[in-house]
Amino acid sequence: MYLVANISVEICAAKSCKLCTQYCPEANTIQYSEDMGKDQGFKYGSAYVAVDRCKGCALCVWVCDTMAKNNAIKMTMIDQLPLAAVTDNIRYEEKSTVAVLSNPMIVIGN
Amino acid sequence: MSLDYVKFSGGFEKFMPKEYRDMVEHGPFGKKISVSQMGSFKEILEEHPMCAGCAMTLFIRLAIIAFPNPEDTITVGTAGCGRLAISQAAIPFVYGNYGDQNGVASGLSRGLRLRFGDKPKDVVVMAGDGGTADIGFQQVLHSWFRKERFTTIMLDNEVYGNTGGQESGMTNRGAVLKMAPLGKKFEKMDMLQMARVAGCAYVASVVPNNPRRVESVIKKAVLIAREVGSTYIQAYTSCNIEYAIPTDKVMEDAKTVENDRYQFTEYVSDEAKQYLTERYGYKDYLPKPAASAAIPNKA
Repeated sequence: MYLVANISVEICAAKSCKLCTQYCPEANTIQYSEDMGKDQGFKYGSAYVAVDRCKGCALCVWVCDTMAKNNAIKMTMIDQLPLAAVTDNIRYEEKSTVAVLSNPMIVIGN
Repeated sequence: MSLDYVKFSGGFEKFMPKEYRDMVEHGPFGKKISVSQMGSFKEILEEHPMCAGCAMTLFIRLAIIAFPNPEDTITVGTAGCGRLAISQAAIPFVYGNYGDQNGVASGLSRGLRLRFGDKPKDVVVMAGDGGTADIGFQQVLHSWFRKERFTTIMLDNEVYGNTGGQESGMTNRGAVLKMAPLGKKFEKMDMLQMARVAGCAYVASVVPNNPRRVESVIKKAVLIAREVGSTYIQAYTSCNIEYAIPTDKVMEDAKTVENDRYQFTEYVSDEAKQYLTERYGYKDYLPKPAASAAIPNKA
């Protein structure tokens, strides 16, 4: 198993600084969704990780802890995540993305 | 491919390549985007084989987002880590052989001007410190002396990272590397000064820990290169493998290095200042009002 970044929606949707989306070295890996926090009653949307692209460098953890001081991102073993976003289940909309969460351990073949 | 040249006939959209349709529908083609929107649109850069936590990849990602007209941009690169990511993008990438990337880009930018006239077609060279300052040094300097109108970006990781850690001209004096065990014996090359002497219209040094600054620097450099002359950006993009930086401390290292020896510097020639102000409405270079007039008289 390996580590991937896991963003706490509760903390992220309260602050929504979006710093991690700007510092991740991987393209389209830390994504932003307007719906993800708002559907749980939070003020803003939340960032989330497309776990199939995350290489586990934890650069976003440093950015969230030290620059943003939000402590919303933790590295988690991928099989410990009940639900996560994967690239194939992400849809792009006008100004945001929508992710359908699924179990990241179940890979559906093409 | 530019949206102005390629127009879909009704019903034929689905036959265009997937990456092109993605860029038009969900990506930056034909729109204005900025780093603050990152994470909510499909990026030009795709999955790539660069190491985890690589600051060079972060810089390349920011640079590609900052291109003013990505659909009219061609990137040129050479051997090194950078091309592994730059080639995984939905815009054309030309691979120059060892060190001739600035020669290739010169011909390319002249050819595009012949073919497309005044319609801007941007050529951006992105090569490592070895490709720019060592192997390609002669062609880089000559392209600047000839005032070729394209942008040169040096991805300066201060080492030959792709081949196991040899010292390059841009390595700091005294640095001990895997393939330079006695430490480097002479100083880091001052390419910024050299670019100014060679007549570049815009010279800047940046560190990727400030995405907005990277965006503004790249935008200015590409716009100036359209008409005024050569532009040069030197970016510190640490190699966390050869310099043994823990991946989660990459930005901390960038900050330390920025304070130590990589301060943000920017040189804009007078002609380029005038061009940016008149053509693209930049207000930074307007003559400042006299100090006495700026302070209201309280008497």
